[in-house]
Amino acid sequence: MSRYLTSRIAQALLVLWAAFTASFVLLQFLPGDAVLIKFLNPELGLSPEQLAEIRLAYGADAPLWQQYGHSLLNFLRGDFGYSMQAGVPVSDSLATSLPPTLKLAASGFSAALLLAVALSFLSSQLGFGWLRAALQSLPSLFVSVPVFWLGIMLIQVFSFRLGWVPVINPGPWEGLVLPTLTLAVPISAPLAQILIRNIDAVLTQPFVAVARAKGASRSWVLWRHVARNALLPTLTMAGILFGELLAGAVVTEAVFGLNGLGSLTQQAVANQDTAVLQAIVVISATSFVLINLLVDLLYPVLDPRLRTRLEG
Amino acid sequence: MTSKAIIPCASALARPLAAVALALALAGCNKAPDTAANTSATPQNGGTLVYLEQQAHNALYPPNGGFYPNGGILNQITDKLTYQNPRTLEIEPWIAASWSINADATEYTFQLRPGVTFSDGTPLDADAVAANFDRFGLGDKTLKHSVSEVINNYARSEVLDPLTVKFHFRQPSPGFLQATSVIGSGLVSKATLALSLDQLGDATRIIGSGPFVVSGEVLGKEVNLQARDKYNWGPVKLAHQGRARLDAIKIIVTPEDGVRIGALLSGQAGLIRQVQAYDEKRVNEGKFPLYAASTRGVNDSLALRPDNALLADLKVRQALLHATHAKEIVQTLFSANYPQARGVLAASAAGFVDQSAELAYDAERARALLDAAGWKLQADGIRAKDGRPLALSTYESLNYVQNREVLQLVAQQWAKVGVQLNVLSGDLGSKTIDSLDPEKIALLPAMVGRADPDVIKSNYYPTNRNLLLQKGGISQKVQSFEDRKLNGLFEAIAAEPDPARRLELTRQVQRYLLAQAYVIPLFEEPQVYAGAPWLHGVDFEAVGRPSLYAAWIAPH
Repeated sequence: MSRYLTSRIAQALLVLWAAFTASFVLLQFLPGDAVLIKFLNPELGLSPEQLAEIRLAYGADAPLWQQYGHSLLNFLRGDFGYSMQAGVPVSDSLATSLPPTLKLAASGFSAALLLAVALSFLSSQLGFGWLRAALQSLPSLFVSVPVFWLGIMLIQVFSFRLGWVPVINPGPWEGLVLPTLTLAVPISAPLAQILIRNIDAVLTQPFVAVARAKGASRSWVLWRHVARNALLPTLTMAGILFGELLAGAVVTEAVFGLNGLGSLTQQAVANQDTAVLQAIVVISATSFVLINLLVDLLYPVLDPRLRTRLEG
Repeated sequence: MTSKAIIPCASALARPLAAVALALALAGCNKAPDTAANTSATPQNGGTLVYLEQQAHNALYPPNGGFYPNGGILNQITDKLTYQNPRTLEIEPWIAASWSINADATEYTFQLRPGVTFSDGTPLDADAVAANFDRFGLGDKTLKHSVSEVINNYARSEVLDPLTVKFHFRQPSPGFLQATSVIGSGLVSKATLALSLDQLGDATRIIGSGPFVVSGEVLGKEVNLQARDKYNWGPVKLAHQGRARLDAIKIIVTPEDGVRIGALLSGQAGLIRQVQAYDEKRVNEGKFPLYAASTRGVNDSLALRPDNALLADLKVRQALLHATHAKEIVQTLFSANYPQARGVLAASAAGFVDQSAELAYDAERARALLDAAGWKLQADGIRAKDGRPLALSTYESLNYVQNREVLQLVAQQWAKVGVQLNVLSGDLGSKTIDSLDPEKIALLPAMVGRADPDVIKSNYYPTNRNLLLQKGGISQKVQSFEDRKLNGLFEAIAAEPDPARRLELTRQVQRYLLAQAYVIPLFEEPQVYAGAPWLHGVDFEAVGRPSLYAAWIAPH
């Protein structure tokens, strides 16, 4: 087990370094840079000499390998540098942006999971009716609803019309309700889809027939036998969907005016704020690695067949 | 830098002054203000105003106050040496009680008001004022502080006594008095001036002497302002004196247009910035007042770049000018708050010349001019000469209202006379790089406001914004275009001490710009705000940034 963990950590470090390097290289391919974008703004009316001085001050024209080495070293020391656009250290930006996104991601993901489980179990309980067909087609609907539109509609109805939750200046939990829903709907869709398929597939397995023949009720079988078997692929999917959370957060945060990692990413991309983007890439890569490690470690817990393979 | 006047457009806000503002703005509002509505109400103290801003602020170095999200904060927390009355455009005393200027405008002496302090307790005296203008006039390379766009020919400061400061200029600097009143000249404490630009994004570190102080901030999300109890040095001629009426202001970044408006209409916010023309009706129907602050600067225009081979010919530029139907743009896309351009400058700008006749839409004339220039119509509807099609490219600008729609409409209008206009939208980096090359980008949208004749120079002078992309500016891609006559006029405006002569030069420049068809003015761009019916006393500085010093909330 410990050997397994060591190799996984080594892999993770490699992934992080690759993500850092790839994002650095890709950002270099973009025309222009943050200094140009910020200071060539005609609003500032800078002269060419002033611009040259500023570029020198930021080291914007230093050789690429120097810039790369410099920022890699600083990252290793935990210094993310300054955000060109916001005019604050990147660590300050992250300190304010990370908690709201983590909160939103956690609640959005939990809500999505609940929604998916409720949907799939309900539909498998219902037998073959029109209601079941309707429930089963919900995931396709959910996944095709534009997040942007959904957010605006939820705000219009629940905040502006009904006045149930304020969007502006809400309390810490109030403010989470609508964004969580907005985020949960598209993420629940693939989860529900897979769960429904798997439940259907497992239900046709002989051991289910045996259990039923022994007198077990339909729902008992579903919870005790089918669920555990159907959950495994869903877990894999959940790990992958984590990426969706970040992408979905960009839109959700823009609509609800939340200052999370999503809106920070969007601004950083627009302004080619390299230091901020590098930090975000590294943070996202880290969380991806961690989530996937978690998923891998959960497999043997859920499925005894996998335990022996790990231990052996 | 931008300069604007106020035109309260809805009934609730009308005050006796509204009539003056209306007269000044000429074509301001679509509705006559109903003066009876609120003049009788007595101002109340207290309350927190929720103000929704579209974008987050960036580094709050005062000369960067031209960016509206920055200006909205800086205007509440900083005072200026002088106050420009947004209605009369007169310069009035503020932190400076009086001043004198020598005959050739190379020396300015200011007598300061005693007893003014920054919110960190340090005095706002001659020493502090000198430190501020030394920085704004000369910049600081190590701290990455740039020279303020509004200050020309600055040499040095001289502290004569604790309350008297004198500024020396290398050449006449007639715009300086007005420059001391603009948003970019907000006075900050020495502690703030000592911070590098990289640290000025933290609003809590901006120490001013204004009626509000920054009490807290959530980066990129909200800035909280608290009234300063001991504040007692507002502009002397204002009706309201002493402490600000509001207790606090909560500035919340809300990027979505629909959410800002919905929040206002449902009572979750008191004031919002940036209401699009197509949303104005929604606000009006709810009887919520709209505030359209007109720019007093250069109109929303297209700046042509004569260095581009296709635009080097005056006839082609004139043809484009006459092929552009500004009236159709205003009627199709905007509201009555966006008057059609009648010249290079806004009608309320200093030195405005009415050039409506020169701007007339005339497609026939445009076709004739293009024919005369040798551009023959091809089978595909686009003109060509020597095998080269008359196709031009431009970038949309996110800073101007509905710019993409405006450019697309212009493209349709130009297509009617056989000119192709490609409207590009790309990432900021590509745009920044491409825009330096006149062969790639033949024209760009432009507008800037400031209530002083210097504004026109800011827009076109090679070492300022350089919108015509002349040689000697920031671009290395310009082959040969340089208009010495034009630049000479700009230099003369910036250094002419006689106000009357200065306005005359400003008129000459406007006529010259259109005679050469360097610019195609489209419309006057306002800053449009909307407020709740219970919010009163909202004012705007001369460029349309909110001044919330006298604002108050009625019981509701």
